[in-house]
Amino acid sequence: MRGWIKRRAAGKRNSGKRLDGRNPVGGPPESVPCPQIAAGRSETVIELTDADYIYQAGSPFAAAALYGVNIRIRRGTLVGIAGGTGSGKSTLLQLLNGLLLPAGGSVRVLDHMLVPGLQKPKLNALRRRVGLSFQFPEQHLFEDTVEKDLMFGPLNFGMTREQAQAQALEALHAMKLDDSLLKRHPLTLSGGQMRKAAIASVLAAGPEVLMLDEPTATLDSAARRELVLLLARLCREEGRTILVVTHRIEELLEVADEWIVMHEGRAVFQGDADELGDRADELDQWGVAVPEPLKCWAEWTARLPQLAALPLPRTAQEMARRIAEAVHQSANRSALEAEAGNPGGLEASVCATN
Amino acid sequence: MRDKLMIGRMIPTGSRIHGLDPRAKIAAMLLFTAALILSDGWLPVVALAVLAAVVLAATRIPFKTYLRAMRPLRWLMLFVFLFQWFGGTGAGNADEAAWAWTFGPVALTSSGLSEALLAVSRMALLIVFTALLTFTTAPSMLSRGVEGLIKPLARRGTGAERFSLMMRLALRFVPALLEEAQTILKAQAARGADYEEMNPREKARLLLSLLVPVTVGAFRRAEELTTSLEARGYRIGAPRTAYRGLAWRGADTWFTLLFALLPIAALALRLTA
Repeated sequence: MRGWIKRRAAGKRNSGKRLDGRNPVGGPPESVPCPQIAAGRSETVIELTDADYIYQAGSPFAAAALYGVNIRIRRGTLVGIAGGTGSGKSTLLQLLNGLLLPAGGSVRVLDHMLVPGLQKPKLNALRRRVGLSFQFPEQHLFEDTVEKDLMFGPLNFGMTREQAQAQALEALHAMKLDDSLLKRHPLTLSGGQMRKAAIASVLAAGPEVLMLDEPTATLDSAARRELVLLLARLCREEGRTILVVTHRIEELLEVADEWIVMHEGRAVFQGDADELGDRADELDQWGVAVPEPLKCWAEWTARLPQLAALPLPRTAQEMARRIAEAVHQSANRSALEAEAGNPGGLEASVCATN
Repeated sequence: MRDKLMIGRMIPTGSRIHGLDPRAKIAAMLLFTAALILSDGWLPVVALAVLAAVVLAATRIPFKTYLRAMRPLRWLMLFVFLFQWFGGTGAGNADEAAWAWTFGPVALTSSGLSEALLAVSRMALLIVFTALLTFTTAPSMLSRGVEGLIKPLARRGTGAERFSLMMRLALRFVPALLEEAQTILKAQAARGADYEEMNPREKARLLLSLLVPVTVGAFRRAEELTTSLEARGYRIGAPRTAYRGLAWRGADTWFTLLFALLPIAALALRLTA
């Protein structure tokens, strides 16, 4: 696989940008277009410049969590954030919501600027526009009905009861949940329903940027797929910017426009899936498991070099089709060569690609 | 929340105090507490404070860290101070005091002030010494120390082991539950209910709302832990060896003896006074 990666890196595209301070940050990468929201997509909604964060700063337990993070995220994109345990992914999300303030550098989210030492900033205006769902959000439901939990955010952000109720209903529908759940106690829902209700409780405030920390953790594969497609729909059809922290790159590969990889508190990569494929051999070093589709594509690209010129297929079906086409072309070419008086051509070609 | 809670976490500096046997340190803390309770007047309290300062310096942990450990209890200390001054034993003796202000039924005297300051000093010393114990001893060693101290007292049955397990689990649960409560508070802040920006009434309401998820979380954790302990064959009373054995050295004996002298001296001072 390493050889394939090197060929591709030297080939048609530039590899993903280093964001660890050793190389400068490049411009925004190319991404899969979202037609409905194409107009606003060039706008940068999140910009971190040399952002640092230290937990329990000034105490004997001080621990740096982020170092010199430089990230830019455009409006209406779905961004996957990957990284090993303790790499700073969750800290990064909390920084973007103003729950944590940077210890160094700056964080700009929409039109709010967060810098070190802000004294008691009023951040509700920011939090209304930037929703954050923590890991296992269902464990944070606390009201006695789902409806009250969904209305909690909108009411805090100054909406009237009627508006909050309407928002709650809309969020429930956006997460494909039934109206009958509104009057139920959150703890009586199934695991998947609870997870969706908890995400709906963040969505109910109508955030422009939605950030989710491992939303698919502990869900079964069908529920994971459903949730990922729901998030993609929120991005594509409603133009929301969505940031998803995940340990499984493969589950977001199909829908993510861009990837950020965190490693030991640094953003070591920002780029699209193709660029991520180019740097796949570094994923292990960054504490991220190389996703199966990348492994599979690498294996086939090593056998059939013409595949290297193609962008990384985002779905298993597309990948199977591309590989089948390439195999077919290769066989045809070998057959033609054989007919043209080169009887050893096919075998030679197969040997070369194997 | 957890950032502000300093007690209960070890700060490794590799000092001599860190290297002492946990049983010696626990015994010293108990003896120090006894001496504090028995001490009557400023002289013994100041003497204990000097000794405490020497031991604190020996831990090589910055003094301000101990002050930070006291911070969460500052309101309780203020309450103790005011309660003692307004209603303590020294408050009423207006005739004996160097000065006294009387407002109706309330008499504020210099002796009352002295008593109140003494009470707060005792409390501060107790907190600092408890902090010293946890700052220099890993929680697992602390519970082993408690187990080691109780064992001779409960020779029969499994009382010591039960108590030690209970303490170990409690020590493990406290930070975990605090962290969980903090995450829920953060999740609520992300939904527009920022604890830091609220008035006291709203704060109280928000803290009450934590009860449901934190209690559910505590039960879930307890159940998972019980299952996990059972799955790994844990059984109360079963013979088991320790990965790190406790080793009592000469320094532990001297340290304990030094602290054993304190309550004796305090008692002697009290009897001769």
